[in-house]
Amino acid sequence: MAGIDFGLIVTGQAGQGLQVIAQALAGVFVRSGYHVFVSQDVMSRIRGGHNFTRVRIATKPVGADADRAQMLVALDAKLASLHLSELADDGLVLIDPDDGSRPETGHEIVAVPLRRLAREHGREVMTNSVALGAALALLQHDPEALRRPIQELFAGKGQAVADENLACARAGFDFVCAEGRTCRERIPRIAEDAGRLFLTGAQALGLGAIAAGVRLVAGYPMSPATPIFEFCARNAAEAGIAVELVEDEIAAINMALGAAFAGARAMTCTAGGGFCLMNEGLSLAGMTETPVVIMVGMRPGPATGLATRTAQADLLFCLSAGHGEFPRAVLAPADPEQAFHATIRAFRIAEEFQTPVIVLFDQFMADATRTIGNLQLPIANLQSAERQSLPEGAYRRYEASESGVSPFLRPGTKGQLVYVDSDEHNEEGHITESAEVRVRMVEKRARKAGGIAVMLEPPEVWPGPGRKTMVVGFGSTRGAVLEAVERLRGKGLDVGVLHICDIWPFPIDSVRAALEDSRRVITVENNWSGQVARLLRQEAGITAAGSVRRFDGRQFAVAEVAAGIERLAEGKTG
Amino acid sequence: MKPQEFNSTDPIAWCPGCGNFGIREAVKLALSELGIAPWQTCFVSGIGQAPKLPHYITCNLFNGLHGRTLPVAIGAKLANPELVVIAEGGDGDGYAEGANHFLAALRRNADITYLVHDNQIYGLTKGQTSPTSEMGMVTRSTPWGVIMPAFNAPALAIALDAGFVARGFAGNVPHLAGLIQQAIRHPGFALVDILQPCVSFNKVNTAKWYRHRVYELGKDEPHDPTDRRRAFFKAREWGDRIPIGVLYRSERRPYDIARATHGTTPLAAREPDPAVITRLTERFR
Repeated sequence: MAGIDFGLIVTGQAGQGLQVIAQALAGVFVRSGYHVFVSQDVMSRIRGGHNFTRVRIATKPVGADADRAQMLVALDAKLASLHLSELADDGLVLIDPDDGSRPETGHEIVAVPLRRLAREHGREVMTNSVALGAALALLQHDPEALRRPIQELFAGKGQAVADENLACARAGFDFVCAEGRTCRERIPRIAEDAGRLFLTGAQALGLGAIAAGVRLVAGYPMSPATPIFEFCARNAAEAGIAVELVEDEIAAINMALGAAFAGARAMTCTAGGGFCLMNEGLSLAGMTETPVVIMVGMRPGPATGLATRTAQADLLFCLSAGHGEFPRAVLAPADPEQAFHATIRAFRIAEEFQTPVIVLFDQFMADATRTIGNLQLPIANLQSAERQSLPEGAYRRYEASESGVSPFLRPGTKGQLVYVDSDEHNEEGHITESAEVRVRMVEKRARKAGGIAVMLEPPEVWPGPGRKTMVVGFGSTRGAVLEAVERLRGKGLDVGVLHICDIWPFPIDSVRAALEDSRRVITVENNWSGQVARLLRQEAGITAAGSVRRFDGRQFAVAEVAAGIERLAEGKTG
Repeated sequence: MKPQEFNSTDPIAWCPGCGNFGIREAVKLALSELGIAPWQTCFVSGIGQAPKLPHYITCNLFNGLHGRTLPVAIGAKLANPELVVIAEGGDGDGYAEGANHFLAALRRNADITYLVHDNQIYGLTKGQTSPTSEMGMVTRSTPWGVIMPAFNAPALAIALDAGFVARGFAGNVPHLAGLIQQAIRHPGFALVDILQPCVSFNKVNTAKWYRHRVYELGKDEPHDPTDRRRAFFKAREWGDRIPIGVLYRSERRPYDIARATHGTTPLAAREPDPAVITRLTERFR
């Protein structure tokens, strides 16, 4: 059979339960053998407005939204018209005729009395479940498949609620079947449950932290980092960790540092704005050589910007944040799988090199849900890294060593004392203003960068280095870029991808090796100024011919990336 | 251990005659009398003249940022409740830069002690107005005289039903040492606001000025620290007579005990359980 690649959009107001439809459909199709990708577009409000969710169901792995949708489910018929341009010509629109608004379009319209059926079979609040059932009928899938996802989504609210929602979904399904309506494409079960994991980037970041042995998570709510914090809080008791909601981001990083000083792996998570408040604490971690992991979620700034949307504009900020000079690592995972492993790597680097490590992500990556293969738990990494044995005599917290790393000791060790200072300090940790000691300590801290670089994962190069045109990106653009480049290669363009996760210390050698034989380098980035291009020039001396940029707060679409690359690859300026 | 065994060899950078010397003696005396060894302590201090104190005794120390002592101290205590955690700073550190953390710490009631060296002036930056500078005081930053009322930390702490609130005087070392001992023993957040003469920059609230005014609650005048209304009244007494002693004590449960997920093993001593991680992962299938 030909591969299925089906796009569906669910739109409605905040509070109408769009996520239930998307998550339940995903639950159905993930367990029917498909790869599923779900992204959210949410306004910064609790009720009303215009939200939507894109669902992509495909027989091959997908890491971006579908170019075109074949079905539009509008929980508020007025909002349907906003999405018609994304709908394929033969796509259909599902609306409630009682909304009193019918989109003016040549698309096929399926009218289902969603609210009336919800009232008849449950309650009006279950309108979304009716739409869910109706959508499944249009896709000609087995309605029994809804039982498990609905149970999982509503079991927490009591069995009666789950049963009512199932009845509503069934009513929507039966209504569409009775009308004899179907989609152009049928999406049947193609395989038994392949056991794929289906999770968001934020969940993978939280899971990675727990797997890495985090013991204290301190934070203050800020989109897009809040789901990570909540994931940790929800699982705190089971995982045996402390999750502390604190008064502000300044407290969050300082509390994490206090815990890390006392010997507990610690982290905080925030957005760019919260990270601004943490900068002094980041610098403190660098000076005191305290291990800490900071998850920074990018959203469009400056200031509050677009609070619930996405950007990649805090890259250069994260590389240079904090006053003074100190080593750090910045890892920018692209998807849940990378997020899980990068987080574990972040904790290892932080602990081994006693320095701050930033895990840089964005709203799109955090909130998008997708199928991934099994996560291999690096069990060996779960064990606490071997602390270096204590030297003879009195302990010196900042003993100079060749690697720059000094032996770590927890305060509370009998007969030993640990002095840690934010002032420049001598090897004992006492305050000094000696020029000679200052130079020695700056150099000792700086030496750690060499060791950190060895721990990083090299960038991904696909299908190989030195294609005529190489497309460079980092973080969440990976899915769209890979798919766009694959499409362009299919059209005969000699184009390849260099995608960076572990971006600092900047992998100069591997970047040069991948790009040196190329005619053209193009960056793809979710910012206005072309920060990756700037970094390439600054660190590797490579000048990009142009950048495909998007800075409207939305993630890239595959077609948009492909068109941008094609334009620049042909030599037009961008 | 004798108090002098807490001495450190780090050269002291305070002005001769500074009130900090008296506070240092009181801290050493209190630790000594409680039988706490230096390795069991965890001092967390900020930036200023006061936060240098832990360098001048033998103890574990995290000397962090200006105003950020309390979150660090709470983090250390959460990670290892066996540590005797003492946060230390000045009035600028705690009541200006760190005021939001102070409010949160009063509410959280973690089992730590907070010693505030309150000299009503910024010392290290050489004589600007602090949150506790008195109305009318002329300083380098307010040559026209302070026109905001002074921040009253003990009164605020009592208003928020803090665990333990005391006021001490750097010029009465044995009394101050007694307060610090009680503060360390108190299970929960314990504030000791210490009146400290600044010989270089505060020419109003001098040692002599204080000596004429301070009197001991419980000795010079009866006082019941569980009487919140009376405690609030005493915390606001200022002028011709200034009370020192334990102002207030509540029975609030310390945060460390109220936190259910902590279990009995200190966080710092726990290792991740692969079975838990596998179980959490399976929930996404």
